[in-house]
Amino acid sequence: MNLIEIRGLKKQYHAKTALNGIDIDIGERDSITVFGPNGAGKTTLLKIISGIMSPTEGNAFYNNKKYSESEMKKEVFYLGHKTSLYNALTVGENMDFICRLFSINHRGESVKNILKEHGLWERRRDPVNELSQGMKRRLALAKGFMTDPKVFILDEPFTGLDLRWRSSILSKIKDIRSQGKTVILSTHLVEEGFELATRVAFLHKGRFLFIKKKEEVKIEEIYGLFDSMGETGK
Amino acid sequence: MRFMGNAAAILRKDILLELRGRESLSLMLFLSLLLLVIFNIALDLDKDSVSSLASGILWVVFAFSGILGMGRTSMAERDEEAYLSIVFSPASPESFYIGKALSNFLFLLIMECFTMLSFVILFDFEKIIGLLPQLLVPLVLGTIGFSLVGTLFSFLTTASKYGEVLLPFLYLPVVVPVILGGVTSMGMVLNGNAGGTWKWIQMLAVFDVLYLAVSLLLFRYLMED
Amino acid sequence: MKTDRSITIIFLFLLVMIPLNFYLIFMVAPTEKVMGEVQRIFYLHISLAVGAFLALTGVFVSSILFLWKKKFIWDTAAYTCAEIGVLMSTLVLTTGSIWARPIWNAWWTWDPRLLTVLILWFIYIGYFLLRGGIADKFKKAQYSAVLGIIGYIDIPVVRYATKWWKSIHPLLTQEGGGLDPVMKNIMFFSMATFILLTIFLFLFRFRLARIEERLEIVKKRMED
Repeated sequence: MNLIEIRGLKKQYHAKTALNGIDIDIGERDSITVFGPNGAGKTTLLKIISGIMSPTEGNAFYNNKKYSESEMKKEVFYLGHKTSLYNALTVGENMDFICRLFSINHRGESVKNILKEHGLWERRRDPVNELSQGMKRRLALAKGFMTDPKVFILDEPFTGLDLRWRSSILSKIKDIRSQGKTVILSTHLVEEGFELATRVAFLHKGRFLFIKKKEEVKIEEIYGLFDSMGETGK
Repeated sequence: MRFMGNAAAILRKDILLELRGRESLSLMLFLSLLLLVIFNIALDLDKDSVSSLASGILWVVFAFSGILGMGRTSMAERDEEAYLSIVFSPASPESFYIGKALSNFLFLLIMECFTMLSFVILFDFEKIIGLLPQLLVPLVLGTIGFSLVGTLFSFLTTASKYGEVLLPFLYLPVVVPVILGGVTSMGMVLNGNAGGTWKWIQMLAVFDVLYLAVSLLLFRYLMED
Repeated sequence: MKTDRSITIIFLFLLVMIPLNFYLIFMVAPTEKVMGEVQRIFYLHISLAVGAFLALTGVFVSSILFLWKKKFIWDTAAYTCAEIGVLMSTLVLTTGSIWARPIWNAWWTWDPRLLTVLILWFIYIGYFLLRGGIADKFKKAQYSAVLGIIGYIDIPVVRYATKWWKSIHPLLTQEGGGLDPVMKNIMFFSMATFILLTIFLFLFRFRLARIEERLEIVKKRMED
């Protein structure tokens, strides 16, 4: 059964059409990577899939219900370009706030364990704005581990990170996959995106060039597409 | 219960943010003090005139310092898109709104008490202290009105490229009834005519209930991008 | 094309009604005893206020419909109405001021009714300030709809608050009842003319806005 269904999606900004004619089915345990050059509409697509943006036309369903009538906001974790953290609060206070919203015991072992797993336990009393960019991204992702959502929507999770942090985030997303979560992520890093995917989509000028099972696509194909658009995919 | 629990979590978070960042309340207090000084220079207040002008001066200070503070607290949510962590949670948009309105109410009330205390000291106007119980009702009702409208509008203006600069243009005309009610009824109390305030207190209460209802209906539309 | 025809028909009606309205106001209506000739501006002042109120009601209704249906046609209707509302309320303030000069010997009086119009004028100027700063089409429509609803609800509250605050306008409070029957009929005719004018302006401006929007899309396509 499909968890998320998007039908006939169109998004129009003032005079510019950002997305057009998008259909996509996302099942449980799916891991979809959306590739595409800058300005292809990846962010818009992920915002609409996550429900924080309304499409100009088309319908979105979660568990066969319209978004507004579904429980999706409680079951989806969205991480955009920004971290969704309160910079002035400490690491611990940010986690604590999330726990309260989700009625999770904020003094419990699970919070401690998650912070330890992510290498943040020692820094729990430091304000977020003293953390490095990579640390912030990891903390943002750690929130997702705590609230146990069904779907992770990650918009360019590797952007602005050096290689070491990239591989650290990559391994965390692999953990998410191994827990049987649904993952939808956008990236222009071919290797990382390909490794995480069960299905691969390529978005260009607001349309899918293709959306296929990973086995049906060769990684060289994607590199080739990025090449032809003047980007490297690395 | 869940609703108020979430609102309380947001209130608690805002208090913490204020303690750590000192970005909103401290600025409000500073602006209030500054405005009182400016008023004294501009109006050259003496013992006689201060009594008739006190209420008006206070509410102008409340309104402007309030705009500053409420603009800051909603920017704190938009920076880093922190509010998304509330959007993607069991907390409803309505509980988010109530939480933010509560924290704005709290900060405004602290600012107002501070302003009145400064007023007493700067203008040697001890009358306020004695009449505090009677001043409290219009003060609290007016502040509820301010924070209900201010919370909604400060989220409205964050969508604009002009941001907080736009807030006074939208906010001040809409809260005219609150300012009128607050100024008039507090003025009546300060000038020994506490009996006439009832009508205004009713008006303030009606305003608060109306804006609470409308804001609860409309706030969710500001959470969509 | 159906709207085109109704625009034409209304236009033809107005072609007769507007000159007739001015004729009635300046030639037929008796001169008011106390205020004299200047009272004639009242026929326009009140009618403009009715037109402004109608247009702002249009903003309110269209805003609700936009939030409900999410169709951009309602956003177009809302800002079109708001433009007409601002135009009409500006004229209400201007005619009020012209009237006040000889009567009160001042360009502006803090009459509660005028003050209400002034405050709603500020609110709807704010409506356009808000729209001007939002780039995203959907967000612009959605956020201004919220303001369109809030602003309208504020009008009666402001009206009562200002009325209690100050009432120095005894002459106006007996409008209708105290008027001579000829005056009353001319007033009704003037109101009808301005209601029709408001509807005409709306249809005309709305049609223009739709054409503008279509043009914008065509332009963009040609650029791509």
